[in-house]
Amino acid sequence: MLRFLTSLILLLVFILVAGPLQAVELAAPDVPTVIIPVGQQDDQFDEDFDDDFADDFADEGSFDEILIADPLEGFNRGMFWVNDKLYFYLVKPVAKGYRFIVPRPARVSVGNFFANLLTPIRAANALLQLKFTDFGTEIYRFIVNSTMGIAGLFDPATSLAGVEKVEEDFGQTLGYYGAGHGFYLVLPVLGPSSLRDTTGGMVDTVLDPFRYADLTTMEYLGAKVFKVTNGLSLDKDTYESIVRDSLDPYLFVRAAYAQRRAAQVGKVDYSILTIDGSFLNENNLNPFKWLGM
Amino acid sequence: MKRFVFTWVFFLSLVFSAWAMPQPQEQVEGMINSVLSVLQQTGLTAEEKKSRVSGRVQGFLNMTSMSERTLGLYWQGATEEQRQHFSDLFVKVLEGTYLNRVNDYSGGTVQYLKQRVKGNKAIIDTKFVSDDLEIPVQYKMIYENDRWQVFDMVIEGVSMIRNYRSSYGEIIRKDGLDGLLALMEQKVFAMQGEHPIQ
Repeated sequence: MLRFLTSLILLLVFILVAGPLQAVELAAPDVPTVIIPVGQQDDQFDEDFDDDFADDFADEGSFDEILIADPLEGFNRGMFWVNDKLYFYLVKPVAKGYRFIVPRPARVSVGNFFANLLTPIRAANALLQLKFTDFGTEIYRFIVNSTMGIAGLFDPATSLAGVEKVEEDFGQTLGYYGAGHGFYLVLPVLGPSSLRDTTGGMVDTVLDPFRYADLTTMEYLGAKVFKVTNGLSLDKDTYESIVRDSLDPYLFVRAAYAQRRAAQVGKVDYSILTIDGSFLNENNLNPFKWLGM
Repeated sequence: MKRFVFTWVFFLSLVFSAWAMPQPQEQVEGMINSVLSVLQQTGLTAEEKKSRVSGRVQGFLNMTSMSERTLGLYWQGATEEQRQHFSDLFVKVLEGTYLNRVNDYSGGTVQYLKQRVKGNKAIIDTKFVSDDLEIPVQYKMIYENDRWQVFDMVIEGVSMIRNYRSSYGEIIRKDGLDGLLALMEQKVFAMQGEHPIQ
């Protein structure tokens, strides 16, 4: 009972402190502008810029159209159909009911909680790709969110310090060392994947804390399904609109998956910290940044 | 003296090539702000929002460039008539797809991270930020007909135009360009049946 009261008080204190902090309007940093007049040279800029325009600078004839190989299209389309039915008749109704019963902030917290628990997977893969800063970021986030964020239910690392989660998995690690998609693969229930990412997903389960939580198979699956349901309850019917609006939803999802994964492997860096000089700033708290790694 | 004048003209033309163009980012901001101002208005029906957003956005997009890039390699082989037909349908497909989601907006702002300009192309990096999600969105722009216009949107690394190009290309290889146009016509018809756009 005492323990419950203490945590309640802690929670109240947290809300009182964190509430106003979050409400503070952050001054937008001046947008950096790079303009290269015609005829001038800047190699680093050229490279980044041309990378981002990759296909747009290409000659008409060499537009890449095949983003991922799909030798098992027949099987994949079958699986896509099965998942589609599962989604519309089982998963989505459950997610809808759940969305109706559980208020949004609680669902966001559940999402944060799962994300925090899966830190080992992201951290280990950052390390495997020698991305020391990202590794530090994940460790930093885990410490801040597990303590200030009350066992990961909240995400002060993002909301207060602007330090965002680094999405890493073993599929990306394989990609980092040069492995391509392999070919497209639609998995039952789990959905779009590829040869590389399916392999990666299996390796990642080694670091999945749920595996070591002494759960029965059913409980383990239950936790996974709950995680997916919670994620869907926060989504705004993205899948529905794809199915409704594309000429061929299968092709659309496949192309988006291939592009998204390729982008994650050769990631464009968007992380511009929202707060500068705060004590929570990653630059101050991430030892790898002190060392300039 | 002559050389001096030439140098100046050369220098000025360099400066002007960068400054005479309106800033691409201003265009993107203009587009986003006008869309957000419609979405944030209370007391408008979804249909009213759709038609207002549609009217405001079109001038900011370079539809010819978008259509050309979407057909890619097949643009070259298409007749003028097919190109026109495709562009018309493609506008309607995009409208049907994205305008149907006007009601999904529930707050959120846009941060402008970086703009890069090179020649007649520009990339604007932005981030959509709401309570619990942040989505990096990149706008690719082209300078044509004295204005900067958007020709592609890259959301979390997924280029909209590439997605269409890849899936439409597959349909063209199976059913030909006319097959694709027929499918698009059906889709547009179905979209307008469900959600009429004036």
